[in-house]
Amino acid sequence: MSALQPQLDDVAQRLRAGANAVNDIAALEELRVRFLGRSGEVTLVRRGIGALPPAERPDAGKLINDAVAKMEAVLEEAKARIARGALDEELERRIDVTFPAPEAALGSIHPVRRIIEEISEAFGELGFATVLGAEVEPSYYTFDALNIPADHPAREGFDSFFITPELLLRPHTSPMQIRTMQAHRPPVAILAPGRCFRRDAVDARHLFQFHQVEGLLVAEGMHFGHLKGALAYLSRTLFGPEQRVRFRPSYFPFTEPSAEVDTTCPKCKGNGESCSMCGGSGWIEIGGAGMVHPNVLREVGYDPAVVSGWAFGVGVERIALARYEIDDIRRLIESDTDFLRQLQ
Amino acid sequence: MRLPLAWLRTYVDLPDEVDAIADRLSMLGFPVESIERKPSITGVVVGRITAIEKHPNADRLQVCTIDIGSGKPLTIATAATNVAAGQTIPVAQIGAILPHITIAPRKMRGVESEGMLCSAEELALPAEWFEDGIMQLDESLPLGSDVVAAFGLCEPILEVEITSNRADAMSVLGIARELAAAYGTALRAPSFENPGSAPTPAERMPQIELRSQDCTRFVAQRVEGVRVAPAPSAMRIRLAQAGQRPIDALVDISNYVMLEIGQPLHFYDADAIPHAHLIVRDAAPGERLTTIDERALELDERALVIADENGVQGLAGIKGGSASEVRASTTSLLIEGATFVGARIRRTSARFALRTEASSRHERTLPPALADAGVARAAQLLASLGAQLFAPVVTGGAIAPAAQIALASSELARLLGIEASSDSIAFHLRALGCEVNVDGEKLSVRPPWWRRDLTQSVDLIEEYARLEGYDRIPESLPCVPATTVSSARYRREREAAHLLEALGYREVLTYSLVGESLLGALAQGGLDERARSVEVANPLSEEQRYLRASLEAGLLAYLARRDERATIFEIGHTFARGENAILETPMLAFARAIDTVEQPEWQEEGFARVKSDTLAILARLTGRTVTVASGEDRFLHPGICASLSIDGHPIGVVGRVHPYLAQSFALARPIYLAALAFDAIPEYVAPTYVPPSKYPATYRDLALVLAPEIEAAAVERVAREAVGAECVGVRVFDEYRGAQVGPDKKSLAVRITMQSPNETFTDAAIDERIGAAIARLHDELGATVRR
Ligand SMILES: [Zn+2]
Repeated sequence: MSALQPQLDDVAQRLRAGANAVNDIAALEELRVRFLGRSGEVTLVRRGIGALPPAERPDAGKLINDAVAKMEAVLEEAKARIARGALDEELERRIDVTFPAPEAALGSIHPVRRIIEEISEAFGELGFATVLGAEVEPSYYTFDALNIPADHPAREGFDSFFITPELLLRPHTSPMQIRTMQAHRPPVAILAPGRCFRRDAVDARHLFQFHQVEGLLVAEGMHFGHLKGALAYLSRTLFGPEQRVRFRPSYFPFTEPSAEVDTTCPKCKGNGESCSMCGGSGWIEIGGAGMVHPNVLREVGYDPAVVSGWAFGVGVERIALARYEIDDIRRLIESDTDFLRQLQ
Repeated sequence: MRLPLAWLRTYVDLPDEVDAIADRLSMLGFPVESIERKPSITGVVVGRITAIEKHPNADRLQVCTIDIGSGKPLTIATAATNVAAGQTIPVAQIGAILPHITIAPRKMRGVESEGMLCSAEELALPAEWFEDGIMQLDESLPLGSDVVAAFGLCEPILEVEITSNRADAMSVLGIARELAAAYGTALRAPSFENPGSAPTPAERMPQIELRSQDCTRFVAQRVEGVRVAPAPSAMRIRLAQAGQRPIDALVDISNYVMLEIGQPLHFYDADAIPHAHLIVRDAAPGERLTTIDERALELDERALVIADENGVQGLAGIKGGSASEVRASTTSLLIEGATFVGARIRRTSARFALRTEASSRHERTLPPALADAGVARAAQLLASLGAQLFAPVVTGGAIAPAAQIALASSELARLLGIEASSDSIAFHLRALGCEVNVDGEKLSVRPPWWRRDLTQSVDLIEEYARLEGYDRIPESLPCVPATTVSSARYRREREAAHLLEALGYREVLTYSLVGESLLGALAQGGLDERARSVEVANPLSEEQRYLRASLEAGLLAYLARRDERATIFEIGHTFARGENAILETPMLAFARAIDTVEQPEWQEEGFARVKSDTLAILARLTGRTVTVASGEDRFLHPGICASLSIDGHPIGVVGRVHPYLAQSFALARPIYLAALAFDAIPEYVAPTYVPPSKYPATYRDLALVLAPEIEAAAVERVAREAVGAECVGVRVFDEYRGAQVGPDKKSLAVRITMQSPNETFTDAAIDERIGAAIARLHDELGATVRR
């Protein structure tokens, strides 16, 4: 055994003790310099090699190198321990995650548009295109082509704003039925959302402008059951999977059979009772629908013996009132920022 | 239409409570808008005052002895002043329950009173339509019989909406027919036999002349020996329940028939019509009519009138005239029951704003046979009052029976999606009064005379579905075939909305119809929009007289009224007067206020923000390069306004709101605004990918001194052209004005980036290109380089 061994053991033991004791990188570096530096303790030991018998010198060199390697490993280990300690300290930090964050600078689309988009997307999945039309329409598209000739009593129901006797603000989106069917051979499957106008005095339930979404499907083999299915689908899209629809017979000159369409009141879930939204009936009215009248199909050059079709028109504002439980329809127009923020 | 359930029950047995009946009506296509429920009343019987004397202790009370048929007369004290011996009156016995009181024995000033005599109000009838004091009943009513049951006083009244196609349903009988068909119960329709058969003496014979095709039938009947007196109690009460004020027996009978079967009638005082000669004709221009409610009308040839030899006696199907109306002295009547072309009546009624019960029925075009039925019913009722009838005189062609309609059960199945046997179809159609012949799957159907709305097979299919119940048709989703219709316009609008949402804008809706308050504010800001605005012919108010000519005005008003700090957009149509047409333009506009601190006068940070929003949207929507140049717009500051174009086509503008307008709208903050025309935005083109060069890009920055009016875009264009194809970027990134460049000059800092796909640029190659750029900038724009 080399005479240097006890010295090396002593140095290594003191280095280990020192390394275990330090807690920061600077002190560890000091330790390294003191033991392994150019004039450190190991260098002193290495100087002792000269005093050894020549036969022992090569082994002694190896002995020191091995010891240095072990000591460096000890220092590395200490270094790793100190670094981890710093991370562990970071891990001790706690912040109040409930502290309010600034609001993101995202804007919003209007609830009316959101409803139109949801309907458009749902029917898009079925294969319906969405088309847009003009708000000022000739009476031909608004009435005549829709089986409402001049002096038809139903014209009064569409209490319309006229620009000239032949030109008016559309009171419904149905002109898009005619425009689409005249431009395309059957089959056609469209949604036509848009702004409509009627001479209603403004109050909490009425506006003189509102949005409708028109739906039209004309193809071979279309029937009333499909129309009911389509409106149930629409209603479930907007209000949830439990939704039911009710069709009540009605009269529109451009459809037959015609129906008013009700859906389960979303507030009371159809229970009625003393529900303020549906007046206790358990139903809210969302629009009108029916099988396209054969006179309308003939007008656009379709053969009612070959194709059949159905159409519906739903009131978007009315849906918005029910869906968001809005107390006054006027809030939808020139809405204040708080309203837009709540319904974003 | 008000529909007393009690009246309805006289024609049809209704095996349901009122709510279920209302539901049934709704599901037949007659929505019940409200149900007027009556308070509970019991213990009221018919009584007769057999004796009456003054109360011994009270001047204002009378003590009546009342026979209620029980053999034991009642003593009842009353404060009413209209009582007299012999009257038949409603008596509330001890224990009776009236709307506000329960009748108990009580002493009235020492006299034991065994009940109460009732007024109309106490029987839940409108007090103002009946006698002051105690209600008078017909003598013929059995004493002791139940008044409440006899007149259905506790039965509810339905308010029913009748769609405009159902001329037949504007009556109690019409609704009774529907309910009988729906419930499968028998209908007890009144007889339409006219009891008048005696020939009218020649000099009193009605002579009716139809000079207009718009009168389809005119039934006239002479009735004599009539007397103006109150109608029987039952009729008065029914009319009141139906919302019609009882007047006298004659007026009441004509109203009763109209409400009962739907045929409006007019009763002329026969002595006021010379030679009983009536003419249905167009009015002459300038002719005048004073209506029975004393309205003076000036007519022209558009109005259809009933005239006699002296002039107009009534506005056909709408209102009679005062000259020949029934008055207290009337003893002979000329009854008119006529039918007209509905459109003619509707136009006239709308023009004179005269909406009457009669016109609301006639404008739906009544079936000619109803005229005969109506006159017959009136004749029956007049006869029951003792009038002397002559035979009715009918003018107008023979009534053609309704045409046969062919219907195949397969056609019904094709449209409804349910199979139905010919027999089940025939069952429902017969219930509605149709004659039906069944031949296998083919049906031949003749609608009843009152259903002239049934003309083609689809009408019958609807009738079947209505009676079968729409709820019996199962829901199913159709398999939608591929079509050729494109959603491109909608998708682009949608994408624009979502881009703006992502940029922080909130969508608002403003009014499409605008008026003085908005146009006035614009005018005050120097912008007169009236000349370009499209006017509505029949606005609801001055505030809605014009179609909006811009979205911008609405956004400014929103910011001014709602929230000046809001960041908003709207997508909508604007309208302008064109040469021969209305120009309708789908637009997108957005606005935001941006406060800026301390900026040099040649810079506008807010403008830069909104401009970058605009360019980002257009880049995403089109995939193309947008050209920005200084522009002009009526809403924008002339020096802070850019026009935007793609491939030379203008798309819109962006800028700061004109200060006059901002002041007029009291907007304190600087507002920046952009407006884009959707249809001008070209369609999207997909960009082509350019792989990165293997060679590094190099740039040089130049500080140029130029005249202040030289635009950055010009500098960029010239530099790009000079450097050539290897120029991958030119961007002006700073502007300076002031002492260091001297007056009337500005300095622009521009970075020119170059890159070659084939080689690394040497310094010499870069210097050569930059030198070329500097030379061109000097030659074309007078720019010098600041060292
Ligand atoms: Zn409800």
